[in-house]
Amino acid sequence: MSHAPAPYEPYALSPEELQAAVVRYASNPIYLDNEEWVNDDNPYRRQLRPQVAKYLNFSRVLPKDEILTYESLAAQRLLTSIYDADLVFLPKADLAEKWDDFRQFYSPGNRALGEIIRPGLEKFAFGFLDDEVEVSGKWTKDSLVEFLRALQDRDLSVPTASESAIEKSADPQRAARMWLIQFAPDFLSEASPMIRNVLGYYGEAQSDWFKIIIDEYGYGVHDTKHSRLFERTLESVGLRSDVHHYWQYYLTSSLLMNNYFHYLGKNHELFFRYLGALYYTETTLVDFCRRTADLLGRVFDDQADVTYFTEHVHIDTHHGRMALEKLIIPLVETYGDVVIPEIVRGYEEFQLISEIADQDFAAQIEWMDAGPQYKVLHAPVWAAIESGKVTAPIAHLVEPRGELSNTHCHDGDELCHIVSGTMKFVSGFGSHQILEAGQGTVIRKNRLHGAIIESDECIYQIHSVEDYRKCLS
Amino acid sequence: MLVLSLAVSGTGNCATVAGTPYVYARTELGSFVLPARCPHRGGPLHLAAFEPGRARLVCPWHERATSVSRSLKAGIPAVRRGEVVTVVFPHDADAAYQVEHLPLSAELSRA
Repeated sequence: MSHAPAPYEPYALSPEELQAAVVRYASNPIYLDNEEWVNDDNPYRRQLRPQVAKYLNFSRVLPKDEILTYESLAAQRLLTSIYDADLVFLPKADLAEKWDDFRQFYSPGNRALGEIIRPGLEKFAFGFLDDEVEVSGKWTKDSLVEFLRALQDRDLSVPTASESAIEKSADPQRAARMWLIQFAPDFLSEASPMIRNVLGYYGEAQSDWFKIIIDEYGYGVHDTKHSRLFERTLESVGLRSDVHHYWQYYLTSSLLMNNYFHYLGKNHELFFRYLGALYYTETTLVDFCRRTADLLGRVFDDQADVTYFTEHVHIDTHHGRMALEKLIIPLVETYGDVVIPEIVRGYEEFQLISEIADQDFAAQIEWMDAGPQYKVLHAPVWAAIESGKVTAPIAHLVEPRGELSNTHCHDGDELCHIVSGTMKFVSGFGSHQILEAGQGTVIRKNRLHGAIIESDECIYQIHSVEDYRKCLS
Repeated sequence: MLVLSLAVSGTGNCATVAGTPYVYARTELGSFVLPARCPHRGGPLHLAAFEPGRARLVCPWHERATSVSRSLKAGIPAVRRGEVVTVVFPHDADAAYQVEHLPLSAELSRA
């Protein structure tokens, strides 16, 4: 009998095993399509569109130029569900009616299946950062501190593309509500990813990090807990504050932003990367929240409760300083230069992800605002298809009244053409076009949308034209 | 220290600090900040190629070799984010500098 240990084999799923496990996870009844646009105070229901999962390939690293594709959206929705299963979510009321969903979401089977697919999905969804961010040279504590402090010298007062998009929008209130919805996955469970880092033992820095969390949790006074402040912001502009009420309206990059911190917090080998990302976000949030409070005040005629944002203008001044002086510098002094490249990497990675999210949201607002124009563009694009000038793959669909196509996006431009019946085409929160027989709309690449049938039956076609502009020339 | 952000390639890919031009080199062995002048007679190291089979760049003027291993391990600290690289130069924060463009050899500009 040999007592030699078996060779160690690192955990990995084959592409086929990963795909099968994803389909199995997503097919849980709590993840099936919704018949409504929103979830009604049920934090366990998340639409993962399992019927499409078998066509997706998560066994690769998604390159940056594909980060807004449907596969990316699907991966981020899956990861949100997996990370959320570590947190406690209860509805605001009527748990008895949701008891089965509650038990199912937190069941060992659902959680285990999520953990099985998580490493593969994380590699797929975050692997692009290995190519996009590269740290080199010999870093020391002094060069790190100079590098991080340079952020304070940067002009952070310039509005982001998202803020400008709201200001210039045809409907600034609708755009601002869509914006607040994007923050909900993070702000309603604020600091939860961070708390993953204060479990365990690592000395004095652990206690200093806990002080930041105490601030986020309002020192145990519920009305000052940051998530409660954000609930009041949502409610003050007529939005619901139950968890994932607006699940179908989350953009890919909004989930990417939130999931990034869970990814770092869940995988403790990335602990030092989290510190860099923390410093970046806490330092930049001061100006961001100041501008946001002003913007929401203007857009909602001072009716929006902006306490969440004004509180962060104050407290994040301290948090940025604490992240540097109480966490980063002491940990570098304790553990040496080996941890610095990871801190630098986290700082740059979150900056990159923030930029992606900013551009994505601005593009979505442009898409929502341009709904009437894209409806008009149906005519020339349809003419090009009808005349044979353009040939594109076609999907023929027949759907009954009330059939809701849960939100998704496509990897190229498409033309929706209504043959008969009526469709309500939704391009974002509070944004839709009514399409009748003979009408339709151009659907732009990567833009979130969904649809519901408003006639007894609707026959329509989807033409995958790739780039609609080629149909116009 | 002087913290500067430069383009990885094209316009604005070179910072001249205290009289020395620096570029960001992306090679098959890794990326690093490269002084663009050879310490021998000031030849254009930004146009250098690798010595075959070795981790050394050969200056096109007098074929002096420069170790890449040293630049990778002990070079000027830098981080690239997409097409922008931020460099922490050892010079004073108020040191004069100029940003301009220098072409790079194929072996120093691998994506």
